[in-house]
Amino acid sequence: MKRASRSSDTVSWFAIRKPLPGERRLLLTVLSFVLPLALWCLVSYVPFIWHPDIKLTVAADREGVTTVYTAGDHVARSYFDEYANAVRRENEAVQAGEGTTRSGFSARRNNVKILRAVAPLAIEQGWISENQVTDNAAIFDVWEGLATGRLVSEKPELTPENLAIVQEDWQTLQAHWAEDPEHEMPSDPLLKLIPQGRLSNPVYLPEPHAVLLTGWKDWNAEPAEGRPSLPERYRHSLYIVFSGFFLAALAGVPIGILSGTYDFFSKLFEPFIDFFRYMPAPAFSTLLVAIFLAHDAPKIALVFVGTFFQLVLVVANTTRQLDYSLLEAAQTLGAKRLDLLRRVILPGITPSLYNDLRILLGWAWTWLVIAELIGVKSGLTEVIETQGRWRNFESVFPVIILIGLTGFFTDQLLANLRPLLFPWTPEAIGQKQGPLVRFYRWVTDQQVYVRDDKPTTSDPA
Amino acid sequence: MSDHLDLPDYREQSPEVAARFASIRQRPVKLEVCGLEKRFHSPEGERVVLQDISFKAHRREFISIIGPSGCGKSTLIRILAGLETISGGDVLLEGNAVKGPSRERGMVFQGYTLFPWLTVKKNVMFGLEVSGRSGPAVESEAMDWINLVGLARYANAYPSELSGGMKQRVAIARSLANQPQILFMDEPFGALDAQTRAQMQAYLLQIWKNVDVTILFVTHDLDEAIYLSDRILVLKANPGEIQEFIEVPVPRPRDPEQFISPTFLATKNRLEHLIHPRQPGQEQARLPITKMTAAGDEVE
Ligand SMILES: Nc1ncnc2c1ncn2[C@@H]1O[C@H](COP(=O)(O)OP(=O)(O)OP(=O)(O)O)[C@@H](O)[C@H]1O
Ligand SMILES: [Mg+2]
Repeated sequence: MKRASRSSDTVSWFAIRKPLPGERRLLLTVLSFVLPLALWCLVSYVPFIWHPDIKLTVAADREGVTTVYTAGDHVARSYFDEYANAVRRENEAVQAGEGTTRSGFSARRNNVKILRAVAPLAIEQGWISENQVTDNAAIFDVWEGLATGRLVSEKPELTPENLAIVQEDWQTLQAHWAEDPEHEMPSDPLLKLIPQGRLSNPVYLPEPHAVLLTGWKDWNAEPAEGRPSLPERYRHSLYIVFSGFFLAALAGVPIGILSGTYDFFSKLFEPFIDFFRYMPAPAFSTLLVAIFLAHDAPKIALVFVGTFFQLVLVVANTTRQLDYSLLEAAQTLGAKRLDLLRRVILPGITPSLYNDLRILLGWAWTWLVIAELIGVKSGLTEVIETQGRWRNFESVFPVIILIGLTGFFTDQLLANLRPLLFPWTPEAIGQKQGPLVRFYRWVTDQQVYVRDDKPTTSDPA
Repeated sequence: MSDHLDLPDYREQSPEVAARFASIRQRPVKLEVCGLEKRFHSPEGERVVLQDISFKAHRREFISIIGPSGCGKSTLIRILAGLETISGGDVLLEGNAVKGPSRERGMVFQGYTLFPWLTVKKNVMFGLEVSGRSGPAVESEAMDWINLVGLARYANAYPSELSGGMKQRVAIARSLANQPQILFMDEPFGALDAQTRAQMQAYLLQIWKNVDVTILFVTHDLDEAIYLSDRILVLKANPGEIQEFIEVPVPRPRDPEQFISPTFLATKNRLEHLIHPRQPGQEQARLPITKMTAAGDEVE
């Protein structure tokens, strides 16, 4: 009995076309963001879920194999053991005195490479800086520290096997340097560090924290000489999108309204525009570069071409949607041609027009990447392009997310401004009005809240 | 309906009513329609919707137009308002042929046609502003009209905040603010519930009493037509022609109690007869039984 009465006054989660109560709506909205994020975290941080790769923290070169791995590279889990064992076998050969046939300079250079294998680890630990990788003295210092236990690597730790190799190599070096006052490299081969790594997902799925940290680091990074920083690139991208969109709206809205109002303009413009919009905007990229030359002009033009034609058609359609009886009513009140346009059509369509422009702004964003690729690559897209090529996806994702967030928040902002701008629409009136809305209404029309309660003069009774 | 009752002839007029009609006929003619014809072109060919419509409306007269659905009432009133073209014949306003809509001929539609982006007051000011006037005088004039329809409290509300009846009152005020010669109304209360409707009828009579305006009122509600009008124009369908132009014998001022007076019922009886003529033998058309009923479900 109790259960029956409960179910009757709570709405089902799956009631057809019934709005859910506020708290449930909020919960679901939050979940719609949290769920994909949680899934990403799950796949990234629970080791046994996927992790088909091993990300190297210590790499080694193999004799006679052309593929060169460095720390940070991914190798397939199935291949990793083969790789490590191959290096181990090379070390055994060295210990057995069978070494390589290298001699002199080449052998010494090879030994330097072996010593530098600890560099990524040392950078990670903060022992040396990134431009000390080729600084032999600094590298020697790291080896000495590791061998004597003065330096201990944490996260990643050095395996006992590798620690033993470090100590053995250090002794070899000490022995050699005792005889060689020049502190030259020995020409006998040193032992190689065995490749080490940790489980990881493929490069294209970096971990959330890596994306966040890299994004933050890239955002604040000093750009190379003469190159724009990430915030500068962001502003440039915004500039391209908004200029293209603004120009398209500037030209498209009047044409759209004219086409929606007068059949003359509709028949004159729309058939061609309808045809033109089926030609993909990127197809014009080289043409636009030829016309507008370098810099931003062809990019803005591409956003324009991609947006303008749709915009005209959408605006024309919106104009035609205006209730014709409003025009008839205005005519019986004495409104003539221009009055109809100015006093009925324009105010009548603005709320829908506003929505159209909001949607088309989203459309303009989709052209950004292609626009920035044409001519000289620029803006955020250049980062996506180059970092993507180097497979630095933890630098690519923040940029993509930045674009997404910008579009999302502009749209949300515009949607929230709508009831402020159009307080007369039913949505705005049905809505509980926040202080901001009430203030806006008061500013635009001080009379709104002054309603005199005089008794009505004509009472039919 | 009340065939069995002993009703007077609807053409019999009491001396006051007869005198009133005599005085109305003395008034100048506001609107004259001569041999009006309307044809619509459709894929199946031409269709005559209105044919040979001729009548006159005098100053401050209240005329209702009734007829079966689809007979062309809306078409007629839209032609008179200038929203539809004429296929033949003439429409004269004070002797001048009309062309297109104008502020001389106001119109209230069945659907709500207030401008949603304007407040009640701005809606009422619309016609005045369009005619090039502005300033506080216009505003106070608009407020007078809003007062007349009893909506002073809502002067600054937007239309979407009003009920259907209030919207139509604003629409009436908006049309009247232009001080038109003639006001056309196409089923203005059609979408309202019965109670609001009755209220609105009372309002309309009250307003009409205070304003110098001729009203042409389309309705399909016979009570409404009799209650409001001086004369009732009855159309028949296919093609739409004038069947009869009835002088309502119910004395003024009108009152809801008259709904059951003999003259009222006689008029209504006549209208019923004109709109739904009864043919012998056709009275009890049998409906197919679509659902079996169980014993004991007898309802009659
Ligand atoms: N624009 C048009 N084109 C073609 N036919 C039309 C058009 N407008 C109206 N008609 C036809 O004219 C006839 C009369 O229509 P109208 O709307 O005037 O009828 P009505 O008497 O107002 O009907 P109701 O009582 O249902 O409102 C209808 O048969 C309709 O199909
Ligand atoms: Mg109609």
